[in-house]
Amino acid sequence: MDLLDKLSILADAAKYDVSCSSSGSSRKNTPGGIGNGARTGICHSWSDDGRCISLLKILFTNYCIYNCTYCINRAGNERPRAAFTPRELADLTINFYRRNYIEGLFLSSAVLRNPDYTMEQLLKTVRILRKEYKFNGYIHLKAIPGADLSLIFEAGKYADRMSVNIELPTRQSLKMLAPEKDFTAILTPMKNIGQAIRQNQEEKKKYRKAGPFVPAGQSTQLIVGASPETDYQVLKVSENLYGQFNMRRIYYSAYVPVNKDSILPALKSPPLLREHRLYQADWLLRFYKFRADELLSEEKPDFDLELDPKANWALRHLEYFPVEINKADYELLLRVPGIGVKSARRIVTARRNGSLSYYDLEKFGTVLKRARYFITCQGKYYGGIPIREDLVKSRLLSAGDRQQLSLFSQE
Amino acid sequence: MDYFIYDGSFQGLLTAIYEAFYSKNQVGGILREDEYQPAFFANKIPVEADLQKSDQLYLAIKNKISPQSLRKIYYVFLSEKKETGLLIYHYLRLGFKIGRKIDSYLNHELVARLNQLSGKVSREAHLLKGLLRFRKIEGGVFYAPFEPDYNIITLMAAHFARRLADQDWLIHDKRRGLAAVYNREEWLLTDMVNLPDLRLTEEEKHYQRLWQSFYQHIAIEARKNPRLQVQNMPRRYWKYLIEK
Repeated sequence: MDLLDKLSILADAAKYDVSCSSSGSSRKNTPGGIGNGARTGICHSWSDDGRCISLLKILFTNYCIYNCTYCINRAGNERPRAAFTPRELADLTINFYRRNYIEGLFLSSAVLRNPDYTMEQLLKTVRILRKEYKFNGYIHLKAIPGADLSLIFEAGKYADRMSVNIELPTRQSLKMLAPEKDFTAILTPMKNIGQAIRQNQEEKKKYRKAGPFVPAGQSTQLIVGASPETDYQVLKVSENLYGQFNMRRIYYSAYVPVNKDSILPALKSPPLLREHRLYQADWLLRFYKFRADELLSEEKPDFDLELDPKANWALRHLEYFPVEINKADYELLLRVPGIGVKSARRIVTARRNGSLSYYDLEKFGTVLKRARYFITCQGKYYGGIPIREDLVKSRLLSAGDRQQLSLFSQE
Repeated sequence: MDYFIYDGSFQGLLTAIYEAFYSKNQVGGILREDEYQPAFFANKIPVEADLQKSDQLYLAIKNKISPQSLRKIYYVFLSEKKETGLLIYHYLRLGFKIGRKIDSYLNHELVARLNQLSGKVSREAHLLKGLLRFRKIEGGVFYAPFEPDYNIITLMAAHFARRLADQDWLIHDKRRGLAAVYNREEWLLTDMVNLPDLRLTEEEKHYQRLWQSFYQHIAIEARKNPRLQVQNMPRRYWKYLIEK
C-alpha cells in the first residue's frame, strides 16, 4: 500500500478526535535542529467543518482488537485498514513541518496486537523525531490504556502533551458501549501522568536542568450524546478531572453516529449546540472560577440551549447586579455576561489610573452589548430597562446570540 | 508648522521623531514622502535616516517607557496606515512624561488607538505564521509567497529563522516586492525583482498531494460548516494555500 492510501485511511480514522491544540509549550529549537513550540499555539488551516488544523492528527494504525460500539474503527467494522512504520510517520511529520503545514504531530492509535506493542510503536516514532531528527516542534501523544507504565513515562519525556481518552462520562456507559475497555485501566495512566507532571514541576523548581515531562499538560476527551448522562453529570466529571488529575484540558465530542447498533441512540445530526454549551461551561470552570454546582443542579441538570451558561447564571442571580465597574473586584467582573478574561483584566488595569466611564470601556474594546444590563459606570446604569429577569432575558436573546447560534446550525 | 519627511524605514521614522522633539515650532506631521501633500505655511523638513539618532531613541523608548511600547510602535509602523507617524510622535511625548505607566492608560485616546492598530498587525502576523506555505523548488530552496495586508515580512522572517533554522528559505511579499532570504545562518531583507526558478521538484509534488489528501480526510462530513471556516480563515488568504 502506498503512503497516500495509508495517509487517507489513517487521517480519516483520526478525525473524530477533537483536540488539535498546540499551545502550552515553549520548547526552544536546538543547534542543528528543526522546530520550536509557540506557547499560544498556532493554527495552520481550517478544514471544511470549520475546525482548526494545527497538528498532523493521525492514527498509527486503525487495526483494532477492540469492538467499541461508538467507534468507527471497531474490529467488527469492515473498513480499509492500514498501519504506518515509525520511520514513515516521522518522515511525513518532518516534511509537512518544513513546508509549514503543521505545528507538529498528534499521534494516536487503535490497539494493534496488544497495548504494549502499540505503545512501543508510538514511542519509536517520537524517539526518531526527537533524537534522530532533532525535532523540537509540538508532539501530542496518546497514552494507550493498559500499556506498561514505563513505556508511558518514557513517552512523556518526548511529548509536549499526553492524553488518555476517558471516552464516556461514567463507568456504566463505558461498560455498555465499550465492554472490553475498563474504566480503571483508563484512569490509572491518567492518574500516573498527572502525578508525574506534578513531580516534574517540583523538580524543576529545585534543579534547573531537570528535563521536561509533558510540559503542555495532559488532556482527555469524552463523547457527548451517545450515553444517557445529563450535562450536570458530565460537568461534575470534568470538575473532578481538573481537580484530581492535574488535567489541562477536557474535550467534548458531539456524538456522530458512525455505526448502526441497537444500543446507540439514533440521532439525525450531532448535538453540536450541546457540545458548545459544555465548552462554555468548561471555560467557566477553568478561567472564571465557577463551580459546576453553581451552573447546574439535580433539579436543572441540562443547559439552556437558548442562552449561554454564564448569562443563565446571571439571570438567576440578579441580586449581584448591577456591579460598579470601578469597584467590583476581578472575580466579580468575570461574572458579568459579556465581560471575558481580557476585558476584566483591562478594566482592572485601566482603573488604577482613575475612574472609568462607559465610553472609556468602549474605547479599549469592551463589548457592552450584553454587559450593559449588568453594570454601572460611575454610578450610572446604561441598560435602559429595569433589571428584571424577563426583560433582560429578552434583550439578551435579541442581542446577537442568534447570530452566534447559527454558526452551529447545519447548512 | 513643521512637517518632517522620512524615507519609509523604521530608522527614518525614529530619526524624524528625534528631530521633531527638538523642533521649536509646532509639529504638523511625521510623514513618508508619499503621504506628504504641500500646503500653505507648511515647513517641509526632509530627514535622512541617522543610525545614531534612531538607536538613541530606540533605547530610550525601551528603557524609559517599556519594551511593550517599543514593540507596539514597531507594529503600528508596519501597518503603513496614514498619519501613524504623528500618532507615534504624540504617544512618545506622553510616554516620556509618564514612563511605563503609559501601558496601563488603556482608555487614553492615543494609547487606545495605538493598541488597536498594533493589535491588528499582530493578529495578521499570528494568522500568517500558520497560513504561510513553503514549496521546495529546484535547487532545494523553500519558497513562500504571500500578500499580507500589513508589512509583516520581518516578523515572519524572525519567526521562521528560529523555527526552520536548518533549511534555506525565501519568503516573498508579492504585494510589496520584498523578500526575506535565509541561508541557515541569518536572514536579510531585499527588494525582489527577479523571481527564482519556481519549478517544483517531484518530491514537492508528492508532499503537496499528501497534504491535500490529509486536508480532505480530516474534515467531518456531518459537521460541515463553511461559514465558520471562512470566519477563521478569510478567503483573501486562500490564494497561496496548497490545500485550497
